[in-house]
Amino acid sequence: MSDEEQSGWQLTESDPGVFTELLKTLGVPLIVDDLYSLDSDSLANLQPLHALIFLFKWVASGDSESGPGSSSGTYDPDFQGFFAHQVVNNACATLAVLNALGNIPSLPTGPQLGELVSFSTGMDPQTRGLVITSADWLREAHNTLSPPSAISLEGLNLPRKSEDAYHFVVYLPVMGALYELDGLKPHAVRHSAYSEDGEGWLKVAREVIEARINTYPMGSLEFSLLALRDDPLPTLQSKIQEAQQAGNRELEHELLSTLTNENAKRERWAFENSLRKHNHVGLVHALLMAMAKSGKLSEAEAKAKEAMKTRIEQRKARGEDMDEDD
Amino acid sequence: MPASVTNDTLLAFKAGRAFRRDGSNIVEADPAKGAILLTNGDDGLLHFIWKNRETDVSEEDLIIFPTDATFTKVDQSNGRVYVLKFSSSNQRHFFWMQDASSARDDEFANNVNGVLQDPEHPLQWGTSGSSSSSAPPAQASSSTTTSTTPAAATPGFQATPEQLDYLQTLLRAGGATTGAAEAAIPEASLVDILTPANLTPLFTNHPELVPTLFPYLPPDLPMPPSAEVVQRIIHSPQFRAAVASFDQALRTGLLGNLVRQLGLPEEAGLGIAPFLRAVQAKADRENREAGGMDTD
Repeated sequence: MSDEEQSGWQLTESDPGVFTELLKTLGVPLIVDDLYSLDSDSLANLQPLHALIFLFKWVASGDSESGPGSSSGTYDPDFQGFFAHQVVNNACATLAVLNALGNIPSLPTGPQLGELVSFSTGMDPQTRGLVITSADWLREAHNTLSPPSAISLEGLNLPRKSEDAYHFVVYLPVMGALYELDGLKPHAVRHSAYSEDGEGWLKVAREVIEARINTYPMGSLEFSLLALRDDPLPTLQSKIQEAQQAGNRELEHELLSTLTNENAKRERWAFENSLRKHNHVGLVHALLMAMAKSGKLSEAEAKAKEAMKTRIEQRKARGEDMDEDD
Repeated sequence: MPASVTNDTLLAFKAGRAFRRDGSNIVEADPAKGAILLTNGDDGLLHFIWKNRETDVSEEDLIIFPTDATFTKVDQSNGRVYVLKFSSSNQRHFFWMQDASSARDDEFANNVNGVLQDPEHPLQWGTSGSSSSSAPPAQASSSTTTSTTPAAATPGFQATPEQLDYLQTLLRAGGATTGAAEAAIPEASLVDILTPANLTPLFTNHPELVPTLFPYLPPDLPMPPSAEVVQRIIHSPQFRAAVASFDQALRTGLLGNLVRQLGLPEEAGLGIAPFLRAVQAKADRENREAGGMDTD
């Protein structure tokens, strides 16, 4: 039985737009952005910044890590913050988000998330993980952004192509120290304490993450970094007005440019999310009808057969379709 | 040995033969136009005859004892291929349907099988013009779901040893399977048909077709529908993944109900080729009703 059939959690894309939509559903005024660099300027631009999410996929057949994975961290079995185990693979992205949100002090949330977090106070990580994955409302919010079940292929026993197994690790400050929260590890991992001067916890996070990346052989890892930060939109407008009133043209233009970029990004996320939620079968049919009406369909079908034939021959030549006998 | 269609011909339909290539298990279609006839012979026995329609010569005349033979679809081929198998021997005779439309293939096959089991079997023919009756349910014979067809006059399928073994397994298991292991036979994929390369010139040359797509776009787009939006959508990974999913689902042959919601006949859900044929038929009909349209 597939993970989805057993648990009801569907696989979703790990995209900032998907995460941000989930945060909106949770009633949390934060967004998730792609992080392309860990240098101080890039990070400064994203302040206030609450957590970094490191997501990676094994490419090479590597051995699994047994220890914390980084020599500077230690397991903290007495961690008093929010840490949940990943009990359902398909829920990994949402679980990582919750492990981050549960540790951000004074975070405004919707009522359901608030209740979930306080209900799980004092629970061990495994139980907390089970509680999270049993929350129907959370599962539904998570599943909103995978393809609708009208074209779900679960009941058709189709061979599944191997799905990308991403893994998520959250880095964030809790009680003066940098913590690493990995739902597949038995405990929260405590890295060093940090000073509030300058970059604060980000300095330690950068060192830890870069050290971690460097432990993997070149090319063996596909990874991304995401930043969980305050949504800048609500305050941008008022900041622009302040700059206008203060006659600070340069700042005003800079902020306007940021606003334009931010709005363009939101539109792109909204566009992609609407495609994710949509059942495209009607559109597929309508496109084929348009091709048929203009007399283009049979030609396209003939070319497609050729393309398939070539593909199969190439695969055979590469030995991927070996006959079992002789 | 000439044979004629006598009053004792129980059924007849257009079919060609296919032969195993020497020294291999590869079966290749012979292009000769022919027909399969089932007749009650003068000897009181059932005859399974293959006649060449061009020479009018019966080149195969097999005597069949009741329940000894079955006529079943070779699954995993892209031909409309059937095999006559005997329980009393290892004989196998391969045939491929030559009627222009595959709509009645299963109907013919079911009737052949019925007669092979019992020459007194009452033949069952669907009423013409009714789409649901010409698509018999998948469990009607021991062949299974995927019915994929080339253009009528085109032979050219090859059943490999694996496919023949697979067929054996199906027949032994006696039931339907929904396993949709990819056929090693080339068949068009929707992913290769609905490419931006195919669709972009369509929109350029037939801009009037673009608004016909608007009702099928996501309802919550952050911008109003337009040709640019359609372009963005067809290039998007989400749309392309949906095309691949639908393509895979269609290959199971189980989408009879879903395709009816699209206004297509049930047999359009039997596979890629039936689906595309049904789309073309509907498009032609709508074009005629609209008074014709320029095609390139």
